[in-house]
Amino acid sequence: MIAVVVLLLAAASRTHTVEIRGMEFHPAELTVAVGDTIVWINRDIVPHTATAGGGAGSQGGHTKWDTGALTQDKTGRYVAQRAGVVRYSCTFHPTMHGKLTVREAH
Amino acid sequence: MSAFHRLAALAVPFTLTAALHAQANPPASAPTPDLSDPEVAHVAVTANSIDIDAAKFAETRTHNAAVKQFAATMITDHSAVNAQAAALAKQLGVTPADNAVSQSLQSGAAEARKKLEPLSGAAFDHAYIAHEVAYHQAVLDAIDKVLIPTTENAELKKLLEDVRPAVAAHLEHAKTLSTQLGGTKAKTK
Repeated sequence: MIAVVVLLLAAASRTHTVEIRGMEFHPAELTVAVGDTIVWINRDIVPHTATAGGGAGSQGGHTKWDTGALTQDKTGRYVAQRAGVVRYSCTFHPTMHGKLTVREAH
Repeated sequence: MSAFHRLAALAVPFTLTAALHAQANPPASAPTPDLSDPEVAHVAVTANSIDIDAAKFAETRTHNAAVKQFAATMITDHSAVNAQAAALAKQLGVTPADNAVSQSLQSGAAEARKKLEPLSGAAFDHAYIAHEVAYHQAVLDAIDKVLIPTTENAELKKLLEDVRPAVAAHLEHAKTLSTQLGGTKAKTK
């Protein structure tokens, strides 16, 4: 039963890609649904993170996640857990900002 | 201001203001360095190495968490760029060639270190970050006005273009820290 529900959720969820290049998140603002996966891929020479609720400049509130350091061409992912707006940043580069809006799943 | 003077500013960041003043009043016949690609590669590697060394020194001196984190980022980022530059040079069969600009960069770095050496605490943090602001501004100017325009090899040019946003972000990061430290310095006076 649980497995079926998980499978149904998995089938409905989407994967969104955020490219990190030129010291920016592309797109910088993204709207996803609960259960969706966000994948960050770092195209820069220097390492980056996508970090909410702990990184410099992030205002994630109770939501905390962190891709950890992503070197060039490495990816990190996060599955959106709950609805809300999360601002995130790169721990290494406080000039970098992203915004993730998570809406309820259908 | 000639390319030579811009690079002189890069070599001695503390004289940046004077160099910018000179830009407004260019001398009639200032020499312009005609850098070959191997020389541009050498300047790029030298510029990165200087900032790595400054950050390593800062890590041994500072007690400020934000300054420590900035220094750690400088080491990571400039090391990553140098690794990429070394890989590209190898791939292109280019041996970075020492030149007057690299040498003036090194003497500028030695001079900057001399000024930081006797400092500690908030005074050190303030001076180091002020130096990082000036240095990254000078490097950014050199990338835009000297290094990218003089580079002939497309891949080396692309590497410089790829590195530019990181240098610009470091500059903004340093400026923000400088503002934050302004208060710290006032308190310790």
